[in-house]
Amino acid sequence: MDQVYVPKKRTGFNIGDYVIIKPLKEESGKDLKKLKKLYFYGVSDLEKIKLEIIEKIRGVIEQSIEFENFIITGSFLERGFDFRDLDILIISNEKVNGNKIKKTITEKIGINPDIIVLNIKTLIKGLSTDPLYQMMLSKYVSKKRLIFNIKTKINYKILDLHLLKSKALIDGFDFLNGSEKYQLTRNMIAISLFLENKKISKVSVDRKIKELFKTEIKDIKDNLINKKEFLKEYKKIYKETFEKIMKGVKRENGSKQK
Amino acid sequence: MAQNRNKLIELFISNLANSIVHEILERAIDREEIADKYRKEIKNSFEVSKTYRNKINPINSPLPAGDSLFIKNRIKKRVERELNLRISKGYKNIDLSLVDKEIEGYLKKLEVL
Repeated sequence: MDQVYVPKKRTGFNIGDYVIIKPLKEESGKDLKKLKKLYFYGVSDLEKIKLEIIEKIRGVIEQSIEFENFIITGSFLERGFDFRDLDILIISNEKVNGNKIKKTITEKIGINPDIIVLNIKTLIKGLSTDPLYQMMLSKYVSKKRLIFNIKTKINYKILDLHLLKSKALIDGFDFLNGSEKYQLTRNMIAISLFLENKKISKVSVDRKIKELFKTEIKDIKDNLINKKEFLKEYKKIYKETFEKIMKGVKRENGSKQK
Repeated sequence: MAQNRNKLIELFISNLANSIVHEILERAIDREEIADKYRKEIKNSFEVSKTYRNKINPINSPLPAGDSLFIKNRIKKRVERELNLRISKGYKNIDLSLVDKEIEGYLKKLEVL
């Protein structure tokens, strides 16, 4: 008996469904295109409905523009359906109207994604200077596999801009929900790890949060944290990270003047 | 109710001050280093401020003179404190002369003034 292997992450049918096996050469060009597999990085499991959404997104992008690759990332790739964001990075050397694609996806699929259009050079630059890019691309689904050789290059002024966002937790602790608190904490910790030249991924950042705040991620997301203890640690890390960044800014200024 | 309004005003001040600091710091960085992503951050922060503004009565007309002056002064103080903190630590190219203009612009956009 011959065996047929099918991808574990697939759209269209479940275990136990009856299927017809047909040679690819008999399919039309359009269908062939549909059957091309996607590349999954850091994604161990994804609900069938999400795979169908990704297929639809691919359809919209392929029909609309010329592009090299697209990358889907964000909390959409986490288990469950309480995702906050679906980010689509479109890699293209052509001028692409991201807003138009966003509008089409929203109209056709009913999801409101964030779309970033950039060329490969900008993406590599982002990955080498921006911890959030690194974290974003620690888990993704793309049309093609991404192969990079990234050397981390710290731009302290840009890190300062990122860290500023996390200040909102100090000022508005009582008004932020758990998910917002988690996002801001994650942002700060990703920056702090980046400054230590450590690998940034959702897993490594979450592990560090648990270690520093001695709390479970779920408790932060559920807004079940002790305000006094959490804020004390948060302010301490914020201050230390800010000081490191400012030292770096000063060094950058000095080296530019020479 | 009054307490809620005061809290909303505090949140509005904090978020808007952050947007303005962000805007001014962005100008202190070489332009080529800034991708669209960073502009999106300012937009997000501004959108949050807008959400708070839309909860502070009167919504469709400028706030009473006392409130708007209070907000303007508090934002100015916060923005200058953040920027001066950076200057004192050796951050260069921060243009403090932009502060008043930016605050004025944002507050008009959000119908505070």
